[in-house]
Amino acid sequence: MILVAYILATVLAIVAILLCHTNRRMNAVTIVHGLGFGAITIAALLSGPVPITSFAFGSQFFFIDHLSIFEILIAVVIFTLSAVYAGGYVESLIATGELEKGSLRLFYASWSLLFLVIVLAFCSDNLALFWILAEMTTIISAMLIAVLSAKENIDAAIKYIFVASAAMLFSFVGFIFLFEVSRETIGQGTLNWTVLIQNASAFPAGLMIACFALVFIGFAAKSGIFPFHTWLPEAHAKAPSAVSALLSGVLLNVGIYAIIRMMALVHQTDAARIVSPFLMLFGILTIAIAAFSMLPQKNLKKLIAFSSIENMGVLLVGIAIATPVALFWVIFYIMAHAFTKAELFLSAGILHRQYHSKFSGDAPDEIRNVFRFQPLAAWGMIIGGLAIIGIPLSPIFLPKLFILLQLGAVSLWLLLVVLILLFIAASALGYFVIVSFTQGLSKEKPFEIEPYITPMGMKIPVIILILLIVALGIFFPSGEISFINQIVTELKF
Amino acid sequence: MTDTAFVEGIIRILFVVVIVAAAYIISTRNLLSLVSVYAIQSLTLVGIALALYSVEGSAVLLAIAVITFATKVLVIPYFIATIQERIRIKRDIEFHYLNPTTTLLLSMALMLVVYIALTRILPPTVGPSLFFFGAVIGISLMLMGMMVTFSRKKAITKVMGYLSMENGVLIFGMFVTELPFIIEFLIIIDLIILVLLTTILSVGIDTTLEEYHNRLHRFYLWEEKEDLS
Repeated sequence: MILVAYILATVLAIVAILLCHTNRRMNAVTIVHGLGFGAITIAALLSGPVPITSFAFGSQFFFIDHLSIFEILIAVVIFTLSAVYAGGYVESLIATGELEKGSLRLFYASWSLLFLVIVLAFCSDNLALFWILAEMTTIISAMLIAVLSAKENIDAAIKYIFVASAAMLFSFVGFIFLFEVSRETIGQGTLNWTVLIQNASAFPAGLMIACFALVFIGFAAKSGIFPFHTWLPEAHAKAPSAVSALLSGVLLNVGIYAIIRMMALVHQTDAARIVSPFLMLFGILTIAIAAFSMLPQKNLKKLIAFSSIENMGVLLVGIAIATPVALFWVIFYIMAHAFTKAELFLSAGILHRQYHSKFSGDAPDEIRNVFRFQPLAAWGMIIGGLAIIGIPLSPIFLPKLFILLQLGAVSLWLLLVVLILLFIAASALGYFVIVSFTQGLSKEKPFEIEPYITPMGMKIPVIILILLIVALGIFFPSGEISFINQIVTELKF
Repeated sequence: MTDTAFVEGIIRILFVVVIVAAAYIISTRNLLSLVSVYAIQSLTLVGIALALYSVEGSAVLLAIAVITFATKVLVIPYFIATIQERIRIKRDIEFHYLNPTTTLLLSMALMLVVYIALTRILPPTVGPSLFFFGAVIGISLMLMGMMVTFSRKKAITKVMGYLSMENGVLIFGMFVTELPFIIEFLIIIDLIILVLLTTILSVGIDTTLEEYHNRLHRFYLWEEKEDLS
């Protein structure tokens, strides 16, 4: 039923978008679509005992457990708020000629389709089906990047498609291996995660290492892990900011989600002893690459994109530790990072509208007198920046602290290395904000800046996200804790 | 059932054809022949699937053969050839990091590495049989395709590299295990959409922007039709 509801809602939304003629109406449809998905998900949560395995059709392909609901809820929040934001943002893109009016339908239809595909991916029980849906998210989101009429956008989209799809093919080979493994141990070949997790302890370690390594290649590319991160800064910086928020807040989660699910399988075999250090290595390398790329960065959106890479590295380190405590905080971290990053990209979008260079997307942003022109975006950047660094009382503080504490229990030297790298990344972010936000108008070459009047629709999502971040950092309702605990037990960590 | 040894011999010959085609895709500078070579490679895959079917008699293999023939031998090459005519680029002489000779040598080394790696990973029951050989060829083909994807500059050649990678996965899947048919089918659909999108985008890379937009509008309708199929 739930599945049918999701698909039906999306079909309705896409038909409505195709019938509409103005940006405002199409935008309203996507907002309603987001709210509708939220209602369906909450209904699913309340309607019965989770995990739900019996759907009206194809029960062997789809299921919903706590982790799926958790990821879907994050996606719903970010998609809905970004849709509200997109209204004003797209209007301004059309006004400056960056987006053609003819592409509007394509933009909003892809938006709705992407939402559906992501939700279905989180609900798929069959790993091959999950692979196909994850691959579809790449293609559709690349369409959203390429929709702007600039050659560099097409370049970024093509790079994204090729890096992600080529890597994903290795994942598929990994799944073929997994199928063969299950056929030899269970007797009947299956890729259903619920069946696999019950029999995982019997899987041979050697083959599981090969499996994991291959699957990891693809989903590392999806989540921007070194050395497959090269597409990420380009794509996130060139995409319209509303889309960047989706890419960073939701799409990166798809990759991490797959890695968590695979790790849950591997964790029960002896292979974990080899896989964990392997993940740790890639996690730390990812943090290092991101931190050092952030230092000389002059372009705001690229800086935030590299910060996403850095956070994915921290998540990978947390997954590598693979204790229940670490996993609990990894799950929490995913949520905190998604909201904070969405907030940062939406604020950066407002600044981008105000200050972006008309000539090239790669040019450094010339931010001047920011508190006079865009006070909300400036404060959004400051609060979001502090939150992403993980200062106390921000939602990322506790997860980072506990992951690092757990890392310290593994090895103090690794802890030291990671701490230094995180410090470099934080100082890069701080340096950029301090330098660019204190720039006044230069006296030698006085030039007029035309203030960009930010519509209410773009301000409200930023405000809501700031409130959400603050609330997440301060309050820990017992429901939230037991929910995440349930996820950890379902993953059998 | 037909004589197994005879079929095995045929499959071995077809393997050689696949690898030669891959080597040609890696080294050629002529874009027009690239597409026909890809079509030949896919046709060889159809042949392999049919040969396997004659031995094992599994309906999935027959279905794979039919669907591969329809999409990879007919639809995709035709589509890419039409696009290439529009772009009017006949030669791709730009390479990123590797030139063809190095790539060829590298791919030979890679095949050796894959062979050694797979003898260790795969369970000894598989042994040095035809199926093991198929797995080696599949993975090598993937790696060769990947080198094309990352060493060429033109987007349209990158697409060919990706397609060749996908052929490798198909061979690997056919020989190592038997996936449910629905999965194979969905992958093909996925592949078609990917190819459509990237080739349309690659028109944008290889021509000026204004021309591109005019063409893009012409393609929209067509693209939607293909999505529905």
